[in-house]
Amino acid sequence: METLKEILSPDFLLRNSVYTSVLVGFACPLVGVFLVLRRLVFMGVALPQISSTGVALALSLPLWLGLKLDAGSEQTEHLLAFAGSSVFTLAAILLLAFMERRGRGLPEGRLGAAYVVAAAASILLLSKNRFAELGWLDLLKGEIITVSNFDLELTGAALALVLVVLGLFHKELLFVSFDRAMAATLGKNVLFWDVLLYLLIGFTVAIAVLSVGPLIAFGFLLVPALTAHLFARNLKWFVLLASVIGGGAAFLGFWLAYAGDLPVGPTDVVLLGILYALGLVVKKLAALVH
Amino acid sequence: MNDAIITLDNLAIGYDGQAVLSGISLTIARDSFTALLGANGTGKSTLLKTLLGLQPVVGGTMQFHSPDGAKPVFGYVPQATQFDPLYPLTGFDVALMGVYGRVGPMKFPSRAERGFVHDCLCATAAAEFAKKKFSQLSGGQKQRVLIARALAAKPDILVLDEPTAGVDVAATHSLLEFISQIHAERNLTVLLVTHDWPLVRKHAQQIIWLHHGAVLHGPVAELFTPERMAAIFEMEVG
Repeated sequence: METLKEILSPDFLLRNSVYTSVLVGFACPLVGVFLVLRRLVFMGVALPQISSTGVALALSLPLWLGLKLDAGSEQTEHLLAFAGSSVFTLAAILLLAFMERRGRGLPEGRLGAAYVVAAAASILLLSKNRFAELGWLDLLKGEIITVSNFDLELTGAALALVLVVLGLFHKELLFVSFDRAMAATLGKNVLFWDVLLYLLIGFTVAIAVLSVGPLIAFGFLLVPALTAHLFARNLKWFVLLASVIGGGAAFLGFWLAYAGDLPVGPTDVVLLGILYALGLVVKKLAALVH
Repeated sequence: MNDAIITLDNLAIGYDGQAVLSGISLTIARDSFTALLGANGTGKSTLLKTLLGLQPVVGGTMQFHSPDGAKPVFGYVPQATQFDPLYPLTGFDVALMGVYGRVGPMKFPSRAERGFVHDCLCATAAAEFAKKKFSQLSGGQKQRVLIARALAAKPDILVLDEPTAGVDVAATHSLLEFISQIHAERNLTVLLVTHDWPLVRKHAQQIIWLHHGAVLHGPVAELFTPERMAAIFEMEVG
């Protein structure tokens, strides 16, 4: 309990990391439910990896161009990473969505290829970057330790934007996801709402990858939504439960990691996995009882 | 016969600019009950998609007749089997989608609209499914919820795409009786896509029959006579 008090203290040294982790934990499942419902889980795997390639590329650009980023240029560096992450993720999701709409080829194959190529490209880019060991590899591994006020504000503002857009347009996003033909028949611009949903997913992934890395971003996108789906009686319950599981696991994971001197991101994902397994057991037992 | 609500003149339908069926000229009368018949691959689904505006016209013209010249509101009832059971939606959630055409972005259905949706569920004897998960309803129960959703759109034309697919015989008869009833009570134009000839004979007034590249159109009483049927099939043999 002493550790919990320490984490909750306003003077806690790593408080920004706690806030960022919990913000991502709450926000990722909100778009994750759409990935699950539209059966785009493979996209959820590939996108964070593509996003991290964007980060690696953006951070390598100054070196290739002969520009020196000194200690005072941390904000520039993070803005650069944010730009790289956003551009790559949004371009990738729009391209993959376009190819999926055409309905040709093997979508899983494309996503698998995108994932593996992006992962390899990230490693290649960072292996040629002599500053990689100074923290960027940590970021890609999901070490949520040093989060500046600027990073926290950027994450908070971006995720608040996602929340507002989802809140305002969830009716249309759900309608075109569930029944495209009826939505089009009633005059909804299906393509527009599809693109908006993909942009929201891409934007959230870009922010999450920048804050917690690709592995943890994927974990928060997928596992809370899967766990909540076991108990969801309606859509509102599904979305809220997924978000609460994500946020709760992020906080609990940070607490456990801090207390046990473990890396935060992997602790979060393993905790989410345990919660999902418990959910499956409870669901099975409830079915047996009834 | 009432005035026309849709007129097709030398219409060609298909995909990517390639016609799969052409030379379709017919009218669908307002307040009529029309059945669209045809075997698989005859262009039935393509014609339906074209009428609903989901597929562009390849050639010819498709004209809608309404007082203000606007496209009529379609109450589309797709096959109940096509919906992904992953969506944790209740019967009411699904029926509520019917009003989304009138409720724009950033707005939410009013209490009156929600009440109207409840009335539609009552009208289709589906009120008891409002709080149940849509994915856990039977085929016939889903169809009633989907018809309630279509009615909630306040349609000019009710379009039902093989509503009896996956529905048992008793439920099929009950469903068609119900569709006939709302057609009569609400003076609603009904377009029913089906394979089921006996049901068409019993309930429909007009038929659009896609048969080996030809489009046969007329009243049931005229088209389903032994002489006419013999002529159609002799024509095919010849």
